[in-house]
Formats: sequence, C-alpha cells, structure tokens
Amino acid sequence: MAEHQEPILEVSGLVKHYPLTTGILFKKQVGAVKAVDGVDFTLNRGETLGIVGESGCGKSTVAKMLVNLERPTAGEIRFKGEDISKLSGKALKSVRRNIQMVFQDPYTSLNPRMTVGDIIGEPYDIHPEVAPKGDRRRKVQDLLDVVGLNPEYINRYPHQFSGGQRQRIGIARGLALRPEVIVADEPVSALDVSVQAQVINLMAGLQDEFELSYLFIAHDLSIVRHISDRVGVMYLGRIVEIGKDAEIYDHPTHPYTQALLSAVPVPDPEAREHRERIILAGDVPSPTNIPSGCRFRTRCWKAQERCELEVPALAVPAEFRHVTGPAAHDSACHFAEEKQVVPSEEPQEPQDPEGKSNGPG
Amino acid sequence: MLLEVRDLHVEFRTRDGVAKAVNGVDYGVDAGETLAVLGESGSGKSVTAQAIMGILDIPPGRITGGEILFQGKDLLKLKEEERRKVRGAEMAMIFQDALSSLNPVLSVGDQLGEMFVVHRGMSKKDARAKAVELMDRVRIPGAKERVKQYPHQFSGGMRQRIMIAMALALEPALIIADEPTTALDVTVQAQVMDLLAELQREYNMGLILITHDLGVVADVADRIAVMYAGRIVESAPVHDIYKAPAHPYTRGLLDSIPRLDQKGQELYAIKGLPPNLMNIPPGCAFNPRCPMAQDVCRTDVPPLYDVSEDRDSACHFWRECLNG
Repeated sequence: MAEHQEPILEVSGLVKHYPLTTGILFKKQVGAVKAVDGVDFTLNRGETLGIVGESGCGKSTVAKMLVNLERPTAGEIRFKGEDISKLSGKALKSVRRNIQMVFQDPYTSLNPRMTVGDIIGEPYDIHPEVAPKGDRRRKVQDLLDVVGLNPEYINRYPHQFSGGQRQRIGIARGLALRPEVIVADEPVSALDVSVQAQVINLMAGLQDEFELSYLFIAHDLSIVRHISDRVGVMYLGRIVEIGKDAEIYDHPTHPYTQALLSAVPVPDPEAREHRERIILAGDVPSPTNIPSGCRFRTRCWKAQERCELEVPALAVPAEFRHVTGPAAHDSACHFAEEKQVVPSEEPQEPQDPEGKSNGPG
Repeated sequence: MLLEVRDLHVEFRTRDGVAKAVNGVDYGVDAGETLAVLGESGSGKSVTAQAIMGILDIPPGRITGGEILFQGKDLLKLKEEERRKVRGAEMAMIFQDALSSLNPVLSVGDQLGEMFVVHRGMSKKDARAKAVELMDRVRIPGAKERVKQYPHQFSGGMRQRIMIAMALALEPALIIADEPTTALDVTVQAQVMDLLAELQREYNMGLILITHDLGVVADVADRIAVMYAGRIVESAPVHDIYKAPAHPYTRGLLDSIPRLDQKGQELYAIKGLPPNLMNIPPGCAFNPRCPMAQDVCRTDVPPLYDVSEDRDSACHFWRECLNG
C-alpha cells in the first residue's frame, strides 16, 4: 500500500512497568508488573500495522501509551520524528489531535447521558481551532454520514443504537479531529459476525478516504490478517515476530506465532483432518515474574539451555540472514525455522466455478 | 434420539411488549453426537438451551408451546422436583463465563463435591476425593493441593476446566455448552475444546455446542443448526453446509468472516441488523436483509424444506441458494 514508506510513528524501547508495593506509609517497591517490556516498531504513513497477542501480552497498554493515556516508564514514541512521550501542555495537546483512539467496547466507551451529537462533537470543545462553534453541528452530521449513520440521528442517545452502530459512533468521534493516526484497540471483537464485516469494511474505506494510518490491535488473527499490511505478534510484553502479513501468516519462524496460528479454528471442516495443530501446554507466565532468557521458553517445545540464558533479539534470524524471501523477517528466536501452519491457499481440488454441489436441485 | 426439541416457542413479557425469542425450534441430538447451534446475539440459541435445562427465568419468560423430549419423556410435563433430578445428573450445562458461574466464596473442591453430596448422598470426605479425581480428569496439575483453592486463584482456562469437570461429575448423557471458549485466548481455547471433545468421545455423550464462531464449529461439530430470529433456518451435516449453504443467511455468515488463510479485498457484509424480537418482519424473518428476497418472502413464512434426507432449509429459494 504505502510505496513511499514514510514512517509516521516510531516506537523504540517502549517499557511500562506498574510497581507493586507493600506498606502503607512507607511504600516499598517489591516488584513490578512488566506489562510492556521493550517494544519497538514503526508505523508508516497510510499503512495498517496489526498487533496480535493473547490477553495480558501488553497490546492494550501499548495502545494507551500511544494516545498518552499512560506514561511510558522508558522508551520513545516519535510522531513524525518528535518524541511525544515527554511532551506536556500545549505541545502535547496539539500532537494528541493527530493520534486518536477507537475503543473496544461500544457500550462503555460512549457516555450514556450525552447525545450522539455531543459525543462526536466533544473533541471540538478541546480543540476549538478545528471547527468554529457555528460550524460544529454540520461537521458532526457530515461525520455521521461518513460512517454510514443517518445524520438526523444527531440528537439521539447511545442506547438507541445497536452495537455496530455504536462502534460507528466511536469511529466518527475518532475521526472528528481529522487525525493522521488511529489506534484501534479490539474495535470489532464485541460485535456479531455479520456486523463485524460491516465495520471492518467501513474502516478500510475510511483509511483510503482520509489517508489514515492504523494501529490495529486484536486477538483475532483472521481479522488482523484481513486488514493489516504488516503484523506484529506480542508475547508477555514484547514483540516476538513482526513482518508483512504473508511473512507472518504463511512463513512464520517463531514457535509462538506458529502455535498461535495453528490454534485458530479455520471455518472449513475439510481442513480438520489434514491440519497440524500445535497445542501449547500451560498458561502464560505472570508478567510479575517473567522467565529469564527467552520469555516463551516455558511453553516452547524447542527450548534448550541457550534459551534460558540468552534473550533472543528481535532481528532477522541468522539462518535467514543471507536469503531473500518471505522467511527472512524479524523473529526473536534462537532456533527460528520456517513452518507452514496455515493451510496454504493453493487449491487442493479443482475449484468448480458454478457451485457443483452435492445437494439435489 | 437422545434429545429432541419439537416446535418450541418461548416469549418474554417486557414493559415494552412481548419479545418472541424462540419461534418454533426443532432439533435433536444423538448419543455421541455433537450438534452445533450457530447464531448471532438475540437469535434464541441460548434461550432454547435454557428451556432444555429448565433454567429459564419464568417470568418474564414463558414457554408457549412445543415439547422437549429427553430419552423419550417430555421434560416440560415433569414437576420441578423431577426436573431437578434430571438436571445435573442426566444433563449438564457449561457456561461461557466460568468466573461468574462459580461461587467465589466456596473452594472449587466444595463446589465439585456438592454434586455428589446432593445427588448421590455421599459424605463430605468421599465427595472431596471425587472432586480431586475429577480435577485430575480435566488435567489440572496438582489437583490434590489445588482442590482447596478458590475460583479466583485459577486462570481462565483452568476455571473453564473446572466448569467442565462439574458438568461431567455425574456422567450425564447430554452436555450443553454455551459459548464454552468464547472468553478464552486462542491457545487456551484449543486446549479446552480438545479436552471437551475427548471426554465426550469417552463417555459417549451428546453435546450441544452453542456458539457464534464458525471456525470452532468446523473443527468439532457433526451437525449444525443455524438460528435466526428464534428459528432454525438451516440444519445440515457440517461438511455439506460449508461446501454449499442452502440458506442465504448461512451463506452471508460464511462469506462475512475473514479467513486466516486468505487475504481478501472487501468482506461481504450482510446488510442491516437482526430484527427486533418484538417486531419480527412478516414472512421470512430474514427477508429485509436477504439479497435473494422476492415478494413471496415478505408474505409467506417458509417451512423447513427437505433439502436432502438429513438436511433442511427454511428458505423458499433454497435450490437457487444451493446453486450459488
């Protein structure tokens, strides 16, 4: 998509630790929840970067830091070259205008006592320079129209809308200030299948129309593949593998990515028999007590002594450093090896063009 | 047939009117078979399950018609006392959210053991031993020590295993699992589904799996019943339905999910919204959203047509749909 590859958001060494303390008067730090523990990535203009991972891997904390709802413990977030994590006051306010968020739960992220017009128009109260007072109502109606809602609904309340419609309202609010980056944290996971597709299509359309860059966070790997140009896989506060969508989905080299992909149910009963599934043992370790070396080693079937001692760096693994091709992408594993776990798209049987089905009729 | 639901009707009386949640559902499940009931929120899939289990909130709910035959007897004609003997012992349910279905102030051992104390009249000590056995059965490491722990001390996947253990405790003939893995992460989801399928085979239980996830269905089900606005719109063996759906709603659902193995351009989206259950459209309930709808769909409720011996579709134009 983005041929010119101009980075709009660069994240490096991002860390968020929540301290654990004991004592009431004299607080003593006894540990930390290492929610995000060194994350680097770049989001290019006009592209969608998908972040996948299981609950507790820190993906939502990354999102919150990007929109400045949380302050990073360490690391940099550069928006067009400027580190925004240390800004405050006016400078921060103007940067925040350009990075907006769409939240997961359309039921709790909209104030039930405000009308839709007030909800979508509220960003203009904070940034009045974007829309002069008299102009706001019209702007809000335009936004409603853009996200596929009837502009006459401007005076309705959130409870009068369905889940999918509410998510459209959330998106309209995110668009109000004409941001360049939208951080979407699980924007469709609360929605029904048929409505999910509507919202995803809407987001894809808006990206073209407004030249948006998306950071799309989700746990559903199929949806992330559908919408993303590049995908990063997170585990326990770190990105373990990152690359173009085909590199990650068709040529994963990190064992966690392989396990994750193989566990996703594919809606095709024919695939049931000839699909290898890697079922991981146990649960994700606690982020207060992260394993030494490679943090995935406690669940990894390939783990050896080296994994306990040495933290694998997120880089192109040595095996693939001198080859070109989809397997040569960043993967934080000492024993990276390519393994195809998603059934390939090559048709296994000749595809009949007009349903030659087995039913009578 | 282990369980047969015939023409079940359930409605809810609310302040704003009567919501018709279930409008003539027919389905059945055999011993050892897995039936997946697929539907979006509000399709009536959970309400049907609650009616089978006898845990429907009455009022505001009301069963206005139909039969639920379990091992030959109509459950709806049983007294509450007799019903209670069936529930737990002969049929059991696994709920979506294990944390809110387990009692937070009782240890998991007490909750598992309670089944044996109440239904089998066991002593507390024997029941505790049984609880440990069950926890071993669902592969909870260190069952002996963990039996004294409370639900919050277990992870989500572990809690769901405890729910499964509780459902299996009395070796029922039928298990109803309502979105058993929806709240879990994919890697854990795979562990739990595998365990459930294995235990089902071992005990030769009938399993009704209620879900909205077409992927999970393809992985484990033998048959699928697709629900829309309180009716079964299509029912078929799992392979047939994915190959060629015979109802436009099923087709729409299959087309609207993004695939892991494909990178599509634009997703097909079923237009509009599911109907308001207080005001279901006349004729076929799906007609306002259906790309194939004709005049007859707006006036005549489609019956369940026989597509083949073991396959039904509630669409006037199932032939056209089947042929794409």
